[in-house]
Amino acid sequence: MRRSKLLITPVLLWLALFLLVPMVIVVVMSLMSRDTLGNVVFHFSLNGYKTFFDSLYLGIYWDTLVLSVVTTVVCLLVSYPLAYFIANASPRVQTWGLVLITIPFWINFLIRTYAWVLLLRTQGVVNTLLIHFGWIQEPLQMLYTKGAVLLGMVYNFIPFMVLPIYVALEQMDKRLLDAASDLGATRWKAFRHITLPQSKSGIMTGCVLVYVSTTGMFVVTDILGGAKSTMISNIIQQQYLGARNWPFGSALSVIFVITSLILILLFNRAMQSRADRAKEGRA
Amino acid sequence: MKRKSHPLLGIHSVLMMIFIYVPILLIIIYSFNNTRLSGDWEGFTFDWYASLMTDDHVLEALMNSLTVGIVSTIVATLLGTVGALSLRGLGRRWKGSMNGLMYLPVIIPDIIMGLSLLVLFNQMHVPLGKATVIIAHITFSMSYVYVVVTARLAGMGKQLEEAASDLGATPWQTFRHVTWPQIFPGVISGALIAFTMSLDDFMVSFFVAGPSSTTLPIYIYGQVKRGISPEINALCTLLIVVSVVLILLAQFFLNRGKGQKKHKMLPI
Amino acid sequence: MKRKGIAGLVLAGALALVSVASLGGCSSSKETLHIYSWADNFDEQVLKDFESKFNVKVTYDNYANNEDLLAKIKAGGGGYDLIQPSDYMVRTMIENNLLEPLDKNNIPNFENIQESLKNPDFDPDNKYSIVYTSGVTGIAYNKKYVKDTIDSWEDLWDPKYKGKVLLLDDNREVIGMALKKQGHSNSSQDEGEIKSAVDDLKKLLPSVLAFDTDTIKQKMIQEEGWIGTVWSGDAAFIAKDNPDVEYVVPKEGGTIFSDNYAIPKGAEHKELAEKFINYMLDPQVSAKNYESIGYSDPNAKAMEFHSEEYRNNHMINLSEEELGRTEWLGDVKDTLQLYDRYWTELKSGR
Repeated sequence: MRRSKLLITPVLLWLALFLLVPMVIVVVMSLMSRDTLGNVVFHFSLNGYKTFFDSLYLGIYWDTLVLSVVTTVVCLLVSYPLAYFIANASPRVQTWGLVLITIPFWINFLIRTYAWVLLLRTQGVVNTLLIHFGWIQEPLQMLYTKGAVLLGMVYNFIPFMVLPIYVALEQMDKRLLDAASDLGATRWKAFRHITLPQSKSGIMTGCVLVYVSTTGMFVVTDILGGAKSTMISNIIQQQYLGARNWPFGSALSVIFVITSLILILLFNRAMQSRADRAKEGRA
Repeated sequence: MKRKSHPLLGIHSVLMMIFIYVPILLIIIYSFNNTRLSGDWEGFTFDWYASLMTDDHVLEALMNSLTVGIVSTIVATLLGTVGALSLRGLGRRWKGSMNGLMYLPVIIPDIIMGLSLLVLFNQMHVPLGKATVIIAHITFSMSYVYVVVTARLAGMGKQLEEAASDLGATPWQTFRHVTWPQIFPGVISGALIAFTMSLDDFMVSFFVAGPSSTTLPIYIYGQVKRGISPEINALCTLLIVVSVVLILLAQFFLNRGKGQKKHKMLPI
Repeated sequence: MKRKGIAGLVLAGALALVSVASLGGCSSSKETLHIYSWADNFDEQVLKDFESKFNVKVTYDNYANNEDLLAKIKAGGGGYDLIQPSDYMVRTMIENNLLEPLDKNNIPNFENIQESLKNPDFDPDNKYSIVYTSGVTGIAYNKKYVKDTIDSWEDLWDPKYKGKVLLLDDNREVIGMALKKQGHSNSSQDEGEIKSAVDDLKKLLPSVLAFDTDTIKQKMIQEEGWIGTVWSGDAAFIAKDNPDVEYVVPKEGGTIFSDNYAIPKGAEHKELAEKFINYMLDPQVSAKNYESIGYSDPNAKAMEFHSEEYRNNHMINLSEEELGRTEWLGDVKDTLQLYDRYWTELKSGR
């Protein structure tokens, strides 16, 4: 126990200085007011928080949540099979699979998103090809729609989902599956009752990473969605920049961080109990 | 015994890879496009590669990004892994708050992190430069490493380690020969994610970077108004090529080292 | 005991790595001018000429909008000697005491600036800023698809262009445009006028293809959109690559804006920055610079050195008549919150 406490000291020190102190600054700011010039004034006020509880901002928060959840689910559905395939492949394929998935994401996010613009715009690659083969007459309006935003989000977070699931699947004891098939279970049954529970920790990590990244992401809505919808991160950004209302922006951030933390800790709790149960099952 | 995957899985995986790479292919193709605008194809050219080599701004930004990325990833991986490992020895109460604390950098919106760190540096009279960017990157990167390694540890049992110490191994020996090999894929995955996050970060870097510590994302964002030059496409293409070559080399040397051991190939 | 050592080692290692990495990029022996501005705002050769003429080094970092600049400078992000805020941002920065007063003795070439661009409302007597370039927000449209005469903001609302309208992603610009359309000031503080303008905009929403400030040029060039609110300098840029695009300042008037030289408070190389401004205001240097970047040159004495093509480009050099219909964006004080709220409503479709 003492060892662990000592080990964790450098980490705690680092975070205390570079994370907690700034966060405290933000919390303090959220309880201040602003003057006409847009500067933060040391005058206690709950205005920042009160402004949030308004149908406009609550509605935007809801939209953000919905988009994040949908993105996470879609991302999970398309990434899991890929992670499974790689985890069960030969070591060579495993290495190359992971490498190939990660490398594109070292290319700047903006460039990747603009590549989708090139593909999906009215005179873009996809439309040009579709018209060329005579499958459509008029170009499709694919960009600046909610679908384009979903596509962009899912695309950008695939490695966040694949890598953790792969890590979980890779360490699974494959002999359990052998035992299952010896006992007559179908592939599907074996998957449902052995593989899936074993990969829970990976799924949870992936979902958390994707969900959190999506809620904080506004670039995709701006570029692929034509900036026609607003996410809570847009609003926060706006408050710090154009609207010069740092207290409101800070209050939004505090609310945002706390609600996300609660969600994640709930996830974690669910994950812990399953992991414990699984361990008991093995013993 | 090798398991044979369902053929559908294979097809899905191939489709996914195509999905992932189509935009990338486009980026590569356009790096050879003989027009500044990313529009229609106007002929093949190496011009952008040539001008890239002499474009000091881009090269400086690239060097900065790589330096920041590598340094911050190494330190973040160290701290994140240490954090995840030490968590296991802590009591229930500590566990909860540590978890929450380590998740914070991942959750906090970039603009908050960037601005609050800037205010902090300003109060501490720390001049902005590469160091401040590295510090900021380490702070959020270590969370990603922590999250991934923790997940890996959760799936591991303590049995093997307990067995090792029962057999008389010192804590260090247990770590080196039992714990480490098991968490290694998690550590590498975490490091990969951390490096990716660092290379891509814009908002946080923007606020804490000083003069001449422009990173690639900052440079590119600044370029957007005028239209991103195909030089950037050329740069991205080169990045991919270099990365693939590096991995091939790493593979080659690792293979030679392993020799006849039946040890499972490292995930990366 | 061993663990403690390891913990200490880890921390020491971390700090060591960080300090070593930051050592890279040591200062050169020459004096350095740190410019912080929009991307591609200067001709590279002009900067290099300055470096060799004065035997100094120039660094040039970018930001993409005024708000980013303000937030950074306000939170203490110093280190820059020369910045280029837009007109309203100069006013804000002056109010927040973020700028150094300029020593005009170091900038004798200031005289070369056009009279009409000297002594602006937002900075009387040019105490803190000097104009760099100016432009007007008007309508750009693609003649291939837009056959009617365009002369009013009302034309954006024409159902013929449904789904093909582009708007700047800027609350003051867009709401200001709607205010002007209804015959009010673009910086109205009257709640009734603002609401009426926003209601009008909400009716336009279904026609809007996208809100975009940064890549609206590309969208017009690629013909994603056919008509939209565009800055005059950008219109010139678009027309160069797509000659079908025309530009007009609507009869109700448009917003005029400028980007300006300014020196942040506490800048290390203030005098060098002033020397730079003076150098840029030399007529021949000026002509070389603006020919290359394509924005309007405020230097009256530089006109003779510009190409005919540049002088005749009505999208760069607007007519007196057009300029007469323009209005600067003013400070809206507390109603900024109202503008922000309405903008959020518009952008979220609520």
